[in-house]
Amino acid sequence: MFCYQCEQTDRSNPELLGCSTAKGNCGKDDTTAALQDVLIHVTLGIGQYAARLRALGGVDPAYADFGAYALFTTLTNVNFNPTRFVTLIAEAAALRDTAKAAYEEAARAAGQEPEQLDGPATFAPASGVGALVAQGAAVRVDAGLDVLGADVVGLRSLNLYGLKGVCAYTHHANVLGFRDETVDAGIEKALAFLAEPPTELDPLLEHAMALGTLNLSVMELLDRANTESFGTPTPSGVRLAPVPGKAILVSGHDMGDLKAILEATAGTGVNVYTHGEMLPAHGYPELKAYPHLAGNYGGAWQDQHSEFAAFPGPIVMTSNCLIEPQPAYRGRIFTMGPVGWAGLRHLEHADLALLVKAAQALPGFPEHAEGAADGPGEERTLTVGFARDAVLGVADQVIEAVRTGQIGRFFLIGGCDGAKPGRNYYSEIASQAPDDTVLLTLGCAKYRINGEDYGTIGGIPRLLDIGQCNDTYSALKIAQALAGAFEVGVNDLPLSLFVSWFEQKAAAVLLTLLSLGITNIRLGPTLPAFLTEAAVDVLVEKFAIKPIGDVQEDLAAAMAGA
Amino acid sequence: MTAVTDTATGVTHEVVLSTSDGVENTLVCPPDLSILEAAADAGTYLPSMCGQGTCGACAAHVSAGSYVLGEHDPSVLGSDPTEGTVLLCRTTPTADCRVELPYDRTRIVDSPPPVRRATVTAIDVVAEATVRLRLGLVADELGMAAEFDPGQFLQVQVPGTEELRAYSLANCGNWDGEFELFVRVQPGGLFSTWLTTTAAVGDVVTVHGPRGAFGLRENGLRPRWFVGGGTGLAPMLSMMRRMAEWGEAQPARLYFGVNTVAEVFAQDEIAEVVAALPDAAATTCVWHPEPGASWDGFVGTPVDALVRDLAGSGEPPDVYVCGPPAMVDAVERALAAAGIPAEQVRAERFTAS
Repeated sequence: MFCYQCEQTDRSNPELLGCSTAKGNCGKDDTTAALQDVLIHVTLGIGQYAARLRALGGVDPAYADFGAYALFTTLTNVNFNPTRFVTLIAEAAALRDTAKAAYEEAARAAGQEPEQLDGPATFAPASGVGALVAQGAAVRVDAGLDVLGADVVGLRSLNLYGLKGVCAYTHHANVLGFRDETVDAGIEKALAFLAEPPTELDPLLEHAMALGTLNLSVMELLDRANTESFGTPTPSGVRLAPVPGKAILVSGHDMGDLKAILEATAGTGVNVYTHGEMLPAHGYPELKAYPHLAGNYGGAWQDQHSEFAAFPGPIVMTSNCLIEPQPAYRGRIFTMGPVGWAGLRHLEHADLALLVKAAQALPGFPEHAEGAADGPGEERTLTVGFARDAVLGVADQVIEAVRTGQIGRFFLIGGCDGAKPGRNYYSEIASQAPDDTVLLTLGCAKYRINGEDYGTIGGIPRLLDIGQCNDTYSALKIAQALAGAFEVGVNDLPLSLFVSWFEQKAAAVLLTLLSLGITNIRLGPTLPAFLTEAAVDVLVEKFAIKPIGDVQEDLAAAMAGA
Repeated sequence: MTAVTDTATGVTHEVVLSTSDGVENTLVCPPDLSILEAAADAGTYLPSMCGQGTCGACAAHVSAGSYVLGEHDPSVLGSDPTEGTVLLCRTTPTADCRVELPYDRTRIVDSPPPVRRATVTAIDVVAEATVRLRLGLVADELGMAAEFDPGQFLQVQVPGTEELRAYSLANCGNWDGEFELFVRVQPGGLFSTWLTTTAAVGDVVTVHGPRGAFGLRENGLRPRWFVGGGTGLAPMLSMMRRMAEWGEAQPARLYFGVNTVAEVFAQDEIAEVVAALPDAAATTCVWHPEPGASWDGFVGTPVDALVRDLAGSGEPPDVYVCGPPAMVDAVERALAAAGIPAEQVRAERFTAS
């Protein structure tokens, strides 16, 4: 296998950054990696035909829909089940052939001779698993490295990984019933672009920025999908101590799955807890209206081995970030949506009665337990739900506080958490930030920060959680509104961005920030392995991207506006 | 000799345990303990059952280092074991060792198998000398989830004794607390005597587990062929039922062997699971049909049927085998002769008790 898409990629060999052994650092084995490479390749072929069909006026949402789902399954920590990929490859090839027939018919109807395409458009998946896996080597992300060079391969990878992030966010919106023609067209076009990618750096960079722009539309669509489905988030307290009784833990990012689970458990006496990136669910009025949405359990994704083992009920992973299930809870963890692991039960919404049954069969939280809501010790809560409307609702106070100097600067500390010790940088930034700073958090990196009391400024909490990484649009709207109020550009706001990345959704968000011209982003804990020195030089030159460094020096520079 | 010296001097040895999915765990083995015991002392519970070298549940392969393999029943290691094949309950290292475990990390747990109570919910004689026993967990502090992987077994304590008897589970893990076992009635056997003379619906028994290493290669993409002899059908049914329940699409073939027509059982259950899978077929094989008995199915052993079908098959399958040692040995020889690599074969031998 070869894979260097995520932050935890193997960097032990400086000559070849990336996971290239039988099993990657995420737990993905070489068979699954090869099958994912083949799936991506065939899916690019769908884009080749679908984009051309659309240019002739033919529109079928099935192409972008499948593309979004298929690429989402290949995101880090989503689907590790090789049998699922064998099925998906067959489905992708069938859909590509449907797209081909539709395109050729539309071309002939328009009096044109259909183009004879090659590459993914004509790639025939082998029959037999061994042959299929062998095909993966020819289409994997570093194919042609010796001819094309690392710069080109790296920038192609940036485009692919950015597109994966776009697809993940799109899928989250699609499953809530929200679609956008611009987004569908953009996905088809991006798939087609990667099917026939250029060999020069400039058009690859240009396309990466276009993906960032596309992702802005996607994030706007997802913001609309979430707020129209579940209401506008409002500041809400979240119970951190479990209550006695039967319990289900829901992790991942998919609010639609959470709502379906809340519906299925209504009136059953089973409580539902959020985990990881589901924490912001408690801010949505339509979700917190369920009285059995009892609280949040645990922290960020990388601690799931111990947290899931200790949880006394079934666990559901609705999207990334799944890591290898441990024997202690393997029999009671379920996957939904794009997620999969060989040997774990996958649930559709129609199967949720089984989940309820599992919760009722498992012990649940006992009464008066240490750390429980009715047990000894002080009950802790967190406040979430400071999305754009909540923050902008007090915009006048915020603007006044900035004008009077009570608020000196905003720090947006956003992105993914992870296991590496270097990620302490972000908690250090938060704890050492001057008292006149407001800390805006986004993504699961918040768990490193939200255990402290940062106080208030003029009645406004210093720590405001905007939501999931999926809610980046909300953060951008806040920044743009403040820029409008001060009549300056976003780069001129007293705002510093500290971004921690882990997987490909972060790549898409980074491209969006860059496409908006936002500069001086501090990115860590390490820079992506797929970006070569030359690519990094370009990003530094154009956007002043900075790798994270010494906390004190970075804080001083940030406060000085650099 | 070396082991004695080690015991005398108190020398310990490092043992690296490597699972089939590449996870390594190092433990220190004192001179007076088997690898199985040393692992349990370290909080690592490896699949095992009898603890006395007679069941084969803890079979593994020592790929480096030296050891003493104590008293054991050689038949549980197969007819032609490769050098280094051991039973961990009887293996004491005499130098640092590396042990290849024939199962994934998921089969190693960090606590001993739970001991729980279960109620007898059904006792059905399903064929000559074969009883289906259904048990239902009594709700306790662990709840009442029957969590296990297909291929694993449950140990039932013979009422009124401290003796345990192990039976493979035929159903799938479930949230109703149900266990389904097939018991071959052994004349004069301790459990068989209880089952056929005393046991009644409503009785409460003590159960240990489930546990065990045998099971599906979860991420296997090849066709799955299953060979069960007698009550060795149980884990095969469990695996196929799990495939059906989870919508797993690998082509499946089942070969179920018994000696006589009177011993045939579970035909409805087999038909049901075959119908529920997208590409499955089953052959029930009767070795010696009784004269005058009505049997229009396959006559011969499951090995005969397997050899017949392997000749015309495409992709070499993963094969799962469970039954008496002689049958399992015959299947392994037939598979080796057909060129099926040993790593594609997972086997469990059961012995009468």
